[in-house]
Amino acid sequence: MTAANIDRRRLLTGTLGTLAAGPLVACGGAGGRSDNRLRAAFSVSGSRESLDPHTGSLFVDQARSKALFDTLVGYAQDMSPVPRLAESWESDADGRRWRIRLRAARFHDNRPVTAEDVLYSYRRIADPATGSPARPQFSGVDFGASEAVSERELVLVLGEPDFAFPAAWGAPATEIVPANTADFGVPVGSGPFRFTSFETGGSAVFERFEGHFDGPPKPAELEFVPVNEAEARVSALLAGQVHYAHDIGANAVEMVERDERAEVLSAPRSTMQAVAFKVDRPPFDDNRVLRAVLSGVDREALVEVVLNERGELGNDLFGKGLEHYPEDVPQRERDVDRARKLLREAGARGLSFELRTSSADPCFEPAANLIAEQLGEIGMRVTPRVGPSETHYSDIKKHGVAGHTRTAALPITTYLSKRLRAASVSANYTGYDSAEFDRLFDDAVATADERERAELLVDAQRHARNHSGVMVWGFSDWNVAVSSDVGGLEAATPNSLNWARFDGAELG
Amino acid sequence: MRRIGIALLQVLGVTVAVFALSALLPGDTAVVILGRHGTSEQIAALRERLGLDEPLPSRLLEWFGGLAHGDLGTSLLTGKPVAEEIADGLATTVVLTSCALGVILPLALAIGVLTGLRRGSPLDRAVNSVVVLLDSVPEFALGLLLVGLFSLRLGWLPATAAGISGTSLLAYPAVLVLPVVVLVCKQLCALTRQIRIGVAEAHTAEYASHARMHGLPERVVLFRHVLPNAAGAAVQQLARTVDGLLGGVVVVEALFALPGLGSGFVDAVRTRDLPTVQGYALMFAATTVTVNLLADIAARRLVPRREVAP
Repeated sequence: MTAANIDRRRLLTGTLGTLAAGPLVACGGAGGRSDNRLRAAFSVSGSRESLDPHTGSLFVDQARSKALFDTLVGYAQDMSPVPRLAESWESDADGRRWRIRLRAARFHDNRPVTAEDVLYSYRRIADPATGSPARPQFSGVDFGASEAVSERELVLVLGEPDFAFPAAWGAPATEIVPANTADFGVPVGSGPFRFTSFETGGSAVFERFEGHFDGPPKPAELEFVPVNEAEARVSALLAGQVHYAHDIGANAVEMVERDERAEVLSAPRSTMQAVAFKVDRPPFDDNRVLRAVLSGVDREALVEVVLNERGELGNDLFGKGLEHYPEDVPQRERDVDRARKLLREAGARGLSFELRTSSADPCFEPAANLIAEQLGEIGMRVTPRVGPSETHYSDIKKHGVAGHTRTAALPITTYLSKRLRAASVSANYTGYDSAEFDRLFDDAVATADERERAELLVDAQRHARNHSGVMVWGFSDWNVAVSSDVGGLEAATPNSLNWARFDGAELG
Repeated sequence: MRRIGIALLQVLGVTVAVFALSALLPGDTAVVILGRHGTSEQIAALRERLGLDEPLPSRLLEWFGGLAHGDLGTSLLTGKPVAEEIADGLATTVVLTSCALGVILPLALAIGVLTGLRRGSPLDRAVNSVVVLLDSVPEFALGLLLVGLFSLRLGWLPATAAGISGTSLLAYPAVLVLPVVVLVCKQLCALTRQIRIGVAEAHTAEYASHARMHGLPERVVLFRHVLPNAAGAAVQQLARTVDGLLGGVVVVEALFALPGLGSGFVDAVRTRDLPTVQGYALMFAATTVTVNLLADIAARRLVPRREVAP
């Protein structure tokens, strides 16, 4: 760690930690709430919030949706689907017709969850007018041919074979809502908690739903408390005002770890940290230049300095530790001589470009500075260009040749399909358009045999690793902090079933 | 009337400047709403639906047209009237700034008079040093230090106002203590020093000496001659203190999880919600101009001989 890496926030958080240390008296917040109310602090988006589970894209949206609604499947820690509302499922021989059987579950108004509710929900998500971030997951569904076979059984028909389709049912914003619901002012779901009150930009309060299919949750009430600053979330937790502080950031981890009033739940490898190089335009359309960059970056130094050793090394592949991740691909090491040679061959010595970065992730800016320094050593002139965080992803998609990006854990098939296929225009930041990759991926998801499918997916990933322009330098942990008075919560990666899942939480 | 006309022009100038500067920011509401998954086609369609494809001058004129009828427009993000958006955070900020002002005024007056009457004394130097020191610590750092000490170490006060907002804050006065202390520490210095200087000058002025020579008791000299003469400049500094409080709430609200005007304004800028940004800018500008105008009028009445810049 160099002096340059000690930023203002780190210094202030350290000071806060020093002051907070020692035998302490917790100071509760406002009164007037149940003793069995779990209070969870999240960053919120202010006035544009709603409880519509199909339109929210922030973590707090997902967490509230998880409390109020259910999905057909959830994701285990390796992002493989596990049954939730869907009791079982099977496809026909070519992976186009999916028959899904639902478990017996009820909405908060005591209506049963039916196949029609599932069809309505997925149609609504696929409708462009809804503006759901999950829409691409259902763009291949032929809703005209799909049908409810019985109250608890339905068939979804796809235009193309897809044996990875069940992964779509557990994606964020794919919750099942009662058929014909369009107003979510007083939402009715089938989740473990039922709606009590909600104020846009303010707290959301839910109460225990005794009729949940998984049994009633342990907390009598659940309150989502809006606290946007990570420092304030940690302060509120340590002062006893909340029981759970989401996304505390790496800077506060050590401070919380030293404090006996709270503990850190770190989910390893939760977020891919990468730089997207545009391979559809100069200079990175020359694969030698791209390979020079891939060889010139010191990933170990990035993990050590930027992630403060609280992360894992990247190997230019998404999804370390997830199902279908090719563990046997050798780690890409820094090779300065090779990088220089490739640049010479490409006639690109002294090449200069801007690396777009922002505070959209706390790692982006320090990583950009270090990468610029490292690539300077192989003869490139890289200038980090800091832009606004709120439009970062739109900016890097439209402008420039290189920009920082990150992706939380997703099923690998979802990532490959939505980020790297030529047709995935919305989240493909590198302009990667490879018939070879598309063929490998399409063959993989159309293959019924699991082992054969896994091999094809590995081949597709190997191809993308060398050509897609995504330089994955590391995986950062996902850190939340919980009060020592609370049990039953576990470290879980965002998007997984156990992330922000409060039904099993026990207040001591 | 001339001052009021100038004040109106100032407010309009601020709104035009804010509109132009906001329009220069990269991205727009359509990009922010659709986030990282929006395609170019979706962004273009949403831009058209929100009217963002209209030329900037016509959007500004349309906004002024609405304003002429008392309509601040509609939030691009939520579809709610901007006036409602602003009203949501107004109570929180009014409570916070009123409490801060309620502490700053008597405190600055007491310290300013006390040190002004004893200029150069050890007490003056000590108090002055403390006030300047508090002013030199950034609000964010000061807030964290106070939270660390009084909330986390001593457990005396809540660390944030998490989950409480608006007038309900008054039901939990403890949550206001630290945010108010941060605002007070930052804004106390300038007003205190202005009062101190005014009092010191008036205290040694010829007219005060003349009054003493005529046998008037010191208390009467103070209240009848020193304080009124010191008040003119202090009132104008008070207006700047109110401006400072409005700026300070942006940081304090974020640090103590108070959903007030500062948070709302930052949120509106972040999401490029231009009508809402305009609404906030208008309100902040109107408040600043009005407070300064009132201060000028008050100064003129308090010290009639004083020339006040237009």
